[in-house]
Amino acid sequence: MTDLTDKNKRATFVPGQPDMWAFVLFETLVFTAYFGFYLFYRAKSPELFLHGQAQLDLRIGVFNTLVLLLSSWSVARCVQSARVGAFRAALRDVYITAACAAIFLFFKVFEWARLVRNGNGIDSSDFFTYYFFLTGIHFVHLLIGFVVLGVVVYQLRSAARRSQELVETCATYWHTVDFLWVLIFALLYVVR
Amino acid sequence: MPLKFNKRLLVVWVVLASFTLAYLWIDHSVDGSLRPNAVVTSSVIVIALIKVRIIFREFMEVRQAPALLCRLTDAWVVLIGVGLFSCYIVGLTLG
Repeated sequence: MTDLTDKNKRATFVPGQPDMWAFVLFETLVFTAYFGFYLFYRAKSPELFLHGQAQLDLRIGVFNTLVLLLSSWSVARCVQSARVGAFRAALRDVYITAACAAIFLFFKVFEWARLVRNGNGIDSSDFFTYYFFLTGIHFVHLLIGFVVLGVVVYQLRSAARRSQELVETCATYWHTVDFLWVLIFALLYVVR
Repeated sequence: MPLKFNKRLLVVWVVLASFTLAYLWIDHSVDGSLRPNAVVTSSVIVIALIKVRIIFREFMEVRQAPALLCRLTDAWVVLIGVGLFSCYIVGLTLG
């Protein structure tokens, strides 16, 4: 009985540092406030927002979402590989994650350039003010994510530095960037 | 140490990708009518919240975390949902 209780205790663990979880929950609340303002104004003037939304290419949004989900899958594999000591596989997964993030950034910049070229700047309508603000702030989080991935690579490359807790903490940050995009994508590209 | 391929993570990605592709179908089903649609908006938000919960549980390993973190992240998903729907409904009412 005692053995079983011990086994159950070992089976559960907090992935990464608790501080990162506090950050994740706080950041989610901040973004929820942004989303709330966006939905409030969108519901008040739906035609204006629908007209702006019609300028977006849903296919780019879907593609970028799939790429970012791939990066999250890759980071999840990295954590599991590092946990069992397969550090070469873990490093490969971090590089795949960084490649996915670079693809996402490229298409995001491509989309911004296309919109601006067509006269849809940050101040052209309320929709585009929210669009550039939300995608821009997410872009910054993704850039910070590159630093975070660099920390994982730095950790994994040397046996003396390896810390599973730090790898999990960095992965938690990366997944947060992913699920924030899941919400941003749904609210900017698909809602009616 | 040889690493066994984790099929569960692959299945999770396929489910998340399918939900994402479902948006294309939703968009196609209302195409041509650039009109507000509360049913579409609600469905899209609910799907996004389900995706967020799956990411929490599977990719972020909350499934294996202590009950407190499981409940906290579930409560957060509900909180996001309540926040989004409240703002949307208030906007509709005042619009």
